Amino acid sequence: MRFLFRRFLILVMTLLGLSLLIFVAVRILPGDLASVMAGLNAPPERVEALRSQLGLDRPLPDQYLTWMADLARGDFGRSLLTGRSVSVQVGDRAAVTFPLIGLGLLIAMVIGLPMGCLSLLASKPWVRSLVHVLAIVGGSMPALWGGLLLILLFSRGSGLLGIFPSQGFAQGGWSTPGKALWSLVLPALTLGLIIGASLMRYTRAALADMLGSGYMDMARACGMTRTHALLRVGLRLALPQLVSVLGLTFAEMITGAMVVENLFALPGLGSGLVSDLGNRDLIAVQSELFMLAAFFLLVGFLVDMIHRLADPRLKAAGEGGSGTSTRQVTA
Amino acid sequence: MTTVAIVARSMWSRAEGKFSILVLGLWVLVSLVSLVWTPQSLWATDGYQVWKAPSAQHWLGTDGTGADVLSWLMAGSHTNLLISLLAVLLAALLGLLLLTAMLASNQLLAAGTVVVVDALISLPTVLLALMLAVPLGPSIAVIVISCGIGYGLNLARIVRPQALLAAGSDYALSAKANGAGGWRIMLDHILPNVMPTMAVQLSLSAGTALLAESGLTYLGIGVPSGVPSWGHSLATSVKFIDVFPLTVLWPGLLVTMVVVALNVCGDLLRQAMDPVSNPELRKLAA
Repeated sequence: MRFLFRRFLILVMTLLGLSLLIFVAVRILPGDLASVMAGLNAPPERVEALRSQLGLDRPLPDQYLTWMADLARGDFGRSLLTGRSVSVQVGDRAAVTFPLIGLGLLIAMVIGLPMGCLSLLASKPWVRSLVHVLAIVGGSMPALWGGLLLILLFSRGSGLLGIFPSQGFAQGGWSTPGKALWSLVLPALTLGLIIGASLMRYTRAALADMLGSGYMDMARACGMTRTHALLRVGLRLALPQLVSVLGLTFAEMITGAMVVENLFALPGLGSGLVSDLGNRDLIAVQSELFMLAAFFLLVGFLVDMIHRLADPRLKAAGEGGSGTSTRQVTA
Repeated sequence: MTTVAIVARSMWSRAEGKFSILVLGLWVLVSLVSLVWTPQSLWATDGYQVWKAPSAQHWLGTDGTGADVLSWLMAGSHTNLLISLLAVLLAALLGLLLLTAMLASNQLLAAGTVVVVDALISLPTVLLALMLAVPLGPSIAVIVISCGIGYGLNLARIVRPQALLAAGSDYALSAKANGAGGWRIMLDHILPNVMPTMAVQLSLSAGTALLAESGLTYLGIGVPSGVPSWGHSLATSVKFIDVFPLTVLWPGLLVTMVVVALNVCGDLLRQAMDPVSNPELRKLAA
């Protein structure tokens, strides 16, 4: 309980620090925020109007506190370009990004876990090496390139086998679930293959660590075969570590997701943030950056909690904090 | 024989080690050559020669402006080398700084650093890059700083258990009894202990930095347009994938091969630098 409280306190403090960083990052632009947002050829009156509309003429600490107070009330501001409220906009985009990431994660687990076991347990040495080589190559591909190869193979129009659409989300959104899901297949496969490859290596490494442990000797002494012992005892013991990996992978998937969303022209969180940045819609960018940062810190927090629940040894040791970190970036 | 020579020889004795060393060596070589010579000038564009198939004059064909694809890839290799090296250097410096703070005798500083690192580690590199891109615009600095910070945090977290073990060891205690200060112990006893893990991790990070380069450049917040890089070559060919699929192949293949080489290098370093699995190192110590 004390650990939970302390960890939560740190979460809140980090979030405050980050909000300050984001606030400063948006405001140390060369030139003044209002004129950047209004565009190059805007008349001075328009810039002036924008400045007072956004409250940019007030002192900085005042602006920061107003922003924080708005955030606390759940008001994330309004996009200048579309005039819609940022929270609605983010909600729409999340309805694309989260299913994409979820589907990608599912594919990654379906590929990664069994193949990781296979690369350690297969009886033929060439199978083990082949699977291992696949894992290394798969994890070394730029997401962009992996997506392009999949387009060349499977997309309607330019692919060898024209099966899946490769551009845009279903017209009707989730009101036509079949079509929506269909348009997510290739992007999710891109993410899933790359994440799956690194999950495969982690599974293999975690199981290999277990091989030499006393738990395994015990299981063998009870009469289990090597494979049986690894799958029944080893995998269970490696589970907390793999949960950590999955959690952090989930956070890192947003990087891959940004690239993949742009490549497949999906209106998701990543592509949205990048286009807002390109359009200099900075009030929206400020709130979106904060929301994403908050989300990832929260995921990190939850992963730590689950890790503790899944691994009673940690609780017994009473040490809060660093386990073995396993983070893979996939850009 | 020195430690470095033993480690290098042990890596060379494996087939995948030869692959890794050759690819990385070629990378450095091409980068250096491209500083003074490329087959065609980067800016020699020709409106009548766009999207040409490979020929004697243009080995890998030409791109949408009629510029030579091979020359741009060669020139890109030194940008990528620079990004990788700088990111890794920054990560190493930050990692060591954080590690020192984590081992500080001041309990508040040590515990504080641990929790802050734990909290920040869940922040993806691309988010850092986006924050930096707001004031800096697309630039190499965005890639280097965001990767350096991300990998530095990661590094500190990974080597901390080993450093703690070394700090609590009998030889560290003996040095302390002999009057050595905290810094002395850090340099003489803790650093040599965490060096192998650091080398492995940095080698993997160098590969990840290359992947980040191609991703961030594609998103328009990495290498600015006009500067040659592999990510740039990949990003410019994306729009024309329907018409000229072959040009997409080369930059991606190049990045994948170099990243594989760096990953293999990391894996082999782990074995080659470990006295338990490398008997030659034990002989040197004895």
